[in-house]
Amino acid sequence: MSSRRPTSVPTTKRDRLPTTSFLLEIGSEELPWQMIHPAMTQLANLMKDFLANHRLAHDRIQTFGTPRRLAVLVQGLASKQTSTLRETLGPSKAVAFDAQGHPTKAAEGFAKSQGVDVGELETRETPKGGYLCAVKRENGLPAATVLTEHLPGLLQRLAFPKTMRWNASGVRYPRPIRWLVALVGAKALSFDFAGVRSGARSWGHRFLADGKSGEASKGIRISRPEIYEATLAGSGVVVDPVWRRDVLAGQLKQLARSVKGRVYQANYEELLDQAVFSLECPNVVCGTFDQAYLSVPQEVLIASMAEHQGFFSVVNRKGELLPRFFAPTNMEVKNMELIRTGNERVLAARLADARYFFDDDRKVKLAGRVSDLNGVVFHKQLGSLYQKTERMVALAGVLADAAGFPDVKESCQRAAHLSKADLVTGMVGEFPALQGVMGEHYAAHDGESVEVCRAIGECYRPRTPDDAIPGTTVGRLLSLTDRLDTLAAFFHAGIVPSGSEDPFGLRRSAFGVIRIVIEAGLNLNIADVLRQAERLVVEQGVKTGGHPFATLRASSGQAQGKLRTGGAGSGPSLQKFLEERLRYYGRVVAVYREDVMDSVLVRADDAACNLRDLFLRMDALQAITSQRDFESLIVGFKRVHRIVEKEAWTDRTVDVALLTHSTELTLQQAVETAGRAVGQALGAHDYHGALSQLIGLKSPIDQFFDGVLVNAPEPDVRANRLSLLRRVDDLFSAFGDLSQIQVQGQ
Amino acid sequence: MLGSVAYIVHTLLPVRPNGYWCLAATTLVTVQNLILSLHQFWSKHDCIICQPYDLEKGAGTFNPATFLRALGPEPWRAAYVEPCRRPTDGRYGENPNRLQHYYQYQVVIKPCVDTIQSLYLDSLSTLGIDPRKHDIQFRQDDWESPTLGAWGLGWEVRLDGMEITQFTYFQEAGGHTLDPVTVELTYGTERIAMYLQGVDNVYDLRWSDGVSYGDLFRDSEVQFSQYNFEVANIAMIRTMFDACEAECRTLLEKGLVLPAYDYCMKSSHLFNVLDARGALSVAERTSYIGRVRGLARGCADAYVERRQRLGFPLLAGAGVEPATSAASAKGKPKRFAS
Repeated sequence: MSSRRPTSVPTTKRDRLPTTSFLLEIGSEELPWQMIHPAMTQLANLMKDFLANHRLAHDRIQTFGTPRRLAVLVQGLASKQTSTLRETLGPSKAVAFDAQGHPTKAAEGFAKSQGVDVGELETRETPKGGYLCAVKRENGLPAATVLTEHLPGLLQRLAFPKTMRWNASGVRYPRPIRWLVALVGAKALSFDFAGVRSGARSWGHRFLADGKSGEASKGIRISRPEIYEATLAGSGVVVDPVWRRDVLAGQLKQLARSVKGRVYQANYEELLDQAVFSLECPNVVCGTFDQAYLSVPQEVLIASMAEHQGFFSVVNRKGELLPRFFAPTNMEVKNMELIRTGNERVLAARLADARYFFDDDRKVKLAGRVSDLNGVVFHKQLGSLYQKTERMVALAGVLADAAGFPDVKESCQRAAHLSKADLVTGMVGEFPALQGVMGEHYAAHDGESVEVCRAIGECYRPRTPDDAIPGTTVGRLLSLTDRLDTLAAFFHAGIVPSGSEDPFGLRRSAFGVIRIVIEAGLNLNIADVLRQAERLVVEQGVKTGGHPFATLRASSGQAQGKLRTGGAGSGPSLQKFLEERLRYYGRVVAVYREDVMDSVLVRADDAACNLRDLFLRMDALQAITSQRDFESLIVGFKRVHRIVEKEAWTDRTVDVALLTHSTELTLQQAVETAGRAVGQALGAHDYHGALSQLIGLKSPIDQFFDGVLVNAPEPDVRANRLSLLRRVDDLFSAFGDLSQIQVQGQ
Repeated sequence: MLGSVAYIVHTLLPVRPNGYWCLAATTLVTVQNLILSLHQFWSKHDCIICQPYDLEKGAGTFNPATFLRALGPEPWRAAYVEPCRRPTDGRYGENPNRLQHYYQYQVVIKPCVDTIQSLYLDSLSTLGIDPRKHDIQFRQDDWESPTLGAWGLGWEVRLDGMEITQFTYFQEAGGHTLDPVTVELTYGTERIAMYLQGVDNVYDLRWSDGVSYGDLFRDSEVQFSQYNFEVANIAMIRTMFDACEAECRTLLEKGLVLPAYDYCMKSSHLFNVLDARGALSVAERTSYIGRVRGLARGCADAYVERRQRLGFPLLAGAGVEPATSAASAKGKPKRFAS
């Protein structure tokens, strides 16, 4: 037992202690913007744990962060630690006292180690018997003393994804630490960390603080923690990121309005975050660029502005890009002209580069670039992008047929052929996020059909969980083709996601498949398509990998690389993977009950899996769960199901002549009528209709159980009744495994 | 006086017919004056003004005054102009912003000083860039050189949105963890000069009064672009690479680390030419980089070993007060007070 771990009991009440406040500011050279917000959260948590561990009561903990500082402000901090009685268990009584009841060496040793007299030791009864116990009163130390002593330890625990050393202290931090402010009330705490001594002196904005740059100025004294924000604001620094965000967002909105437009940015939030955490004094300047650049696709201009410069774009009411940009800056001076013109010149050079790529890329047709894909590795086990393209062309044909769109088969295959060619253009090399988008522009320039161009542009959609799926049939089929090929190839090679590891984004790919199939309402046998996809991978000579399913198949006598047909392909594992993503979609997007999804998925047909159909079943079942009779129907059904599972008899056609009791006859007729209707509804994929038929069986089932004894003494009657129940069970099972449904109170 | 020559007064004039406002200056900072001003500034801050190293290299970091001096415990402060060759960046003299040969201004200080950022900003002020009128930002930019087996953390410094300097705290070089840490500043001299002179085309820069950058270097860009992309004899360069690699290894065995490092630099440049010439497949490229890195690592090991045998001579002078900015000078304790 952990006998030496002390337990503490507070002996002072918090409201008796006077309170103060605490500020810690870590001043550094400019931190990478992505690290600041996570560090603020971390700092708040560390501080909270620290105060709890050191028995320092407090009210609000607030954090601040800019590129040059992380800070935490604690309000209502107890000026002293809570006092405690600290109890530490020692040796057992049997060991601690000799036969005469005198303390042994063990007892003396324990007392000495605890710094108390042997006589002062108490005993405690535990489930394992009596033990010695040292009880010590620990009086609370002043908060300032505790903090001064332990803050270096807290600072040491701040962790970052990438850190550096800069001086002999050997401390690691994302960039050099240059000052530390630590205040309890008006009292500055003095400790050393990273070669810096803490105090009350901070530094304002590098250039706006006091007219002198950097070290030539004397910095600013923070007199009390509560006025930290205000003091820094007076020195040109907005320490609260929420405030900076509001300022920037407000300015952007206002500037956009002033040019009769609106900010247009797909990754607005991220770009705004970047600005918020890159600036101490948020400000936005509006600049212009040469109208002539508007001949370049606006996605390119927007990407060039955002990715290289962090600029926001603006469109007019018709959604057309305006020749303007909004540049976040860290300065607010009377004359912003120098800053504006500087940014305009930089952007002009960037846009000139972009136009150069656009013009240069169009000198070669996309079709002429396809063979260049031979030189681009898709994955080292999975060949080149050219090989992927070849597979995609074949798979696009399969998919167009399977999904019932043979008329666009040719367009699908053409789009698949060209879909990866933009990856070897200069523009996509410069802006990888424009993959697909550039393909569409270049294909249009080459004179490809509108259908094909649109599809190429939509190939990577949905790009994010919030992005819309492709809008055109060919685009949807192309996106599915790309994803299914990727999934089949990686699964075949045994490269499957495990735990949080998914380096190739296969879960995201599969989620895209689910979204397209469901949101576009595509009916197709995914099992069959997956078999074809894997066949194409195998035909290219890709070696199978070592994931469990592959091993199973290999050991079942199939030679590696041999053409697989008849459901022996990557079907089971990849299909289950897709079903898991379907479940995820149901959980996150549609918010279905887990047992509803279980009912449908547990019995999903592996050989002829239709993802959309599974989804429609879930949807109908989820809808009906809220009906009043649903729960009692399920209770009745489960009783039927249990009996049919448990009892042994020879199943046979229900003999009407043997149905003597009226409830038997009623149930028999109800089953027969419902059976026909359910069959029709299921055939028409009308799952709401099928389920409402089943709901109608509630009373007949309940009455049946009230009216007759299933296990009748006459064997014939018993077998007949069991067979009738079997019909009921079959009828429910035609929809799914409803025994999975959880009923309240069961 | 150089300081006064470098001093410029900004005025704003609508100089272009399309309505653009453009920065103009009454006195232009020529490229050569910019270099002279930086020399003077850093020399005042106790840097040795080194001369460029007489071999082709892709960056000032390759100069032994940075790569080798950053290794080991000896203090080092140096500033120099470094002509750099990046064959793949050639554009036949047609791109206004890209060159296959250009000039970096390099400052290395070991151990790095606490006030290095303000020193750097002071240096911009001496060039006529008043940080209180511009928007100067330190944007994260982590540096890594696969061929030198080196990496560091730092920023690209942006002046009104334009990258003008790479600022790096070296953490590792030649596979050695660096202790003490060297800080490296790499000014883009052409970029800064273009900004100060208000020109949009590098070839329009004034190198000195009356001579433009184009006068001096455009033809060189044309010729070397043609050579690097079209003419370079691939077979010969591959042979040369092999020979340089072998020579480097032989020299390392003989303990001649400085000549060995010369051959490491040469092989690095030869690799760059092969790369520009499109002679290398992806896999081959990786293997060449690995070979150069192997040489750099061998040189780094041998250099540290040799300096140690010599007793790290520069440590002897390390007692010299590392003079920095005004603030730290003011804070100096008075030894004979009271």
